[in-house]
Amino acid sequence: MQTLITPEADPVRIRDVAGRRHQLVDRVKHLLVDRLDTVVEAGMIADDEPLFGRGLELDSIDTLELVVAVQEEFGVEVTDDNVEALLSVSHLTDHIAARLEAQA
Amino acid sequence: MSAATAYQRDSLEADDLRAVLPHRPPFLLLDRVTHVEWDSHAVGIRNVGVTEPWFAGHFPDSFVYPGVLLIESLAQLAGVVLSRRAAGKGARGAYLAAVRSFKFTHVVRPGDQLILEARAGATLDGITDFTVGARVGNRVVATGRIAIAETEAEK
Repeated sequence: MQTLITPEADPVRIRDVAGRRHQLVDRVKHLLVDRLDTVVEAGMIADDEPLFGRGLELDSIDTLELVVAVQEEFGVEVTDDNVEALLSVSHLTDHIAARLEAQA
Repeated sequence: MSAATAYQRDSLEADDLRAVLPHRPPFLLLDRVTHVEWDSHAVGIRNVGVTEPWFAGHFPDSFVYPGVLLIESLAQLAGVVLSRRAAGKGARGAYLAAVRSFKFTHVVRPGDQLILEARAGATLDGITDFTVGARVGNRVVATGRIAIAETEAEK
């Protein structure tokens, strides 16, 4: 018999997963503020705001600093092969979450 | 020695350094690389001598090796670490792109032998982060981080 309610659709679990992601997004934003002089306040960064160019206007040296910070904070690497992780806070959070899950 | 020969080695004398770095005296601020793991890590030495030109002014009453030159020595060592890869890609050169969180914990004076160390970390878009440090004997005199940018190949 097909189950209509999968564990993934369990409202408690959805809240749990959403809560964890929200926390991770928050940590990523605070990392940006703590490690880069150019970023002022975590609350001012939108999840989908571009990190380069229009948006937060990070340059290539800031971006390397962010990569180093992510490695130190989460033990997760970002390389030239997955630079799409650096498009926005949202992309970066997804990348970190996926790597952490793979490690777990 | 040609650069190709130098890249086969795991240590380099001052003469060999001329094959892998563009710097020349009085601004070749590295006397010897005692161990190099290409693309990753190197240890070098620099003997500080009282006849170096900067001691005429730094300072007239007391010889203190300038901290900025210590950064330059470490940057040159980092340049050695990257030189083989940069040459392989046909890069025109490697330049100091960022200096971060440096600490100078002890004064360096003529007669001191600096043991320099540079370890490569993350690379993104041709810029590599390095954790670097210098000591005299067992005493740490400087620690910090620098970034080195490899410039694009000649078109």
